[in-house]
Amino acid sequence: MMGNLFPNFITISIIVISMLIFSTFTLIAFNLTNLLKIWEDKIEIIAYLKQGTSSREVEPLLNITRLLEGVEVVRYVSPYDAMDFMATKLGRQKSLLEGIQPALLPPSFEIQLKKDYRNSTKIKEVVAHLEKIRQFEEIQYGQEWVETFSVLVHILRLTQWILGGLLLIGIVFITSNTLQLTISSRREEIEVMHWVGASPGFIRIPFYVEGLLQGLFGGGLAILFLFLLHQGFFLYIPPSMQAWMEKIPVLFLPPETIAWILLGGMVLGFFGSFVASMRVLKYK
Amino acid sequence: MNEAIIEMDHVSKTYPSQISALSDITLEILPGEFTFIAGPSGSGKTTLLRVLCCAERPTSGEVVVYGMHITDPGFKKIYQLRRTMGIVSQDFKLLRDRTVNENVAFALEVTGHTRKEAKRKASDMLSRVGLEEREEDPILALSAGEQQRVAIARALVNSPPLILADEPTGNLDAKMTLDIMGTLTDLHQKGTTILFATQFTGLVKRYSYRVIRILDGQILNGRKVDSTQVPEVKPGE
Repeated sequence: MMGNLFPNFITISIIVISMLIFSTFTLIAFNLTNLLKIWEDKIEIIAYLKQGTSSREVEPLLNITRLLEGVEVVRYVSPYDAMDFMATKLGRQKSLLEGIQPALLPPSFEIQLKKDYRNSTKIKEVVAHLEKIRQFEEIQYGQEWVETFSVLVHILRLTQWILGGLLLIGIVFITSNTLQLTISSRREEIEVMHWVGASPGFIRIPFYVEGLLQGLFGGGLAILFLFLLHQGFFLYIPPSMQAWMEKIPVLFLPPETIAWILLGGMVLGFFGSFVASMRVLKYK
Repeated sequence: MNEAIIEMDHVSKTYPSQISALSDITLEILPGEFTFIAGPSGSGKTTLLRVLCCAERPTSGEVVVYGMHITDPGFKKIYQLRRTMGIVSQDFKLLRDRTVNENVAFALEVTGHTRKEAKRKASDMLSRVGLEEREEDPILALSAGEQQRVAIARALVNSPPLILADEPTGNLDAKMTLDIMGTLTDLHQKGTTILFATQFTGLVKRYSYRVIRILDGQILNGRKVDSTQVPEVKPGE
């Protein structure tokens, strides 16, 4: 049995490394998706009114805007509110605003959207409706960064699955080869089993179970290492980044994703041993 | 009328190196027969037995064992075929990291017997081949002759209806050879069919069993037999 330790160690190590690479990408994609969701929650549209829009027109315009599909809340920001907002943002440098008349600032509507509309595709539908209203001069919703970030997350997800697919093929190939080492280390026993008429299932099932357990163990170790890396990440954040990082939660994988990764490891281990057994456990 | 349990019909085996191991072999073995397959080293005895247990596929011809057409390309149930036979090979095929009893019990365990039952039956069989004192010894502590007896015990422990023995007494001294032959004769008298390949003509002469002589892959005295025929005995051939 000691002879099986080395091939077992090699097989589990390969599964750990492969699953760790895949899990790391999953974790990065998970956190970026999470970040995108947080930002999407903050997505709102600012519709600037044309200069000269009378205060009488504001109330009916508010009602029209509120009735648009996807709109949740609309708030009117008068030039004075805008001035106060800018003063707050500038803080100690608010003296820069001295001499500027509030009337110079355009009044606007801050439009919050329903949850389903807080994404780069649906927001455009609301903007298209708003653009048809002639009293609006300009409509902003930070479209560039929303779209760029969405594309980034999409690419990352795509990379995750392409890499996952390649790793999957690689893992099956490597585990089946390393499991062949395990099988070879027991070839004498297998040959005698063949000789005395052991059924193929009797011979193969222990190897399938071994593959499943190796996959489970390898997947579990990969999750453990990823967890340690995740924890270590916070220990070594430079102080300059710490304040910035406080606003961005870096989460660990949720339990269901961990369960999928463990299951994936088991399936890979099983499939590797299945391929290996097809190649070297033929009755002869 | 007894039907043959083994039928070989125009069986030939040529290895990729163009060496012809068997050439147009046709024979039948009836149930309960004790048959010597006699011939010098390299004459094709081992290949013939290996074809019968599906360890080799013939190049041409048909082989039927217990009604199973084992030369059919679709034949997959080799393990069922092997359960009908006890095989003693020249190289023993023993597990070096196990004890004598474990080696014999292994044949029972892998075919569904409990460990306790297997150990007990293995113990009984080892007594029959004179190894009761060495049951718990590691296999590597045994001489070649003793290992041969372990291999024989393992082949017999499942009480198979057919025994394929390839030079089973090749490593045994005269006394042990007679003991093993006695065990095989007992089994034969109880109805077990035995195919015994040997190059020792002295052994063949000693017993009045059917002899199939083989040379260069061809049967010299081959014929089909039916149940009305008494197996021809030609001691000394």
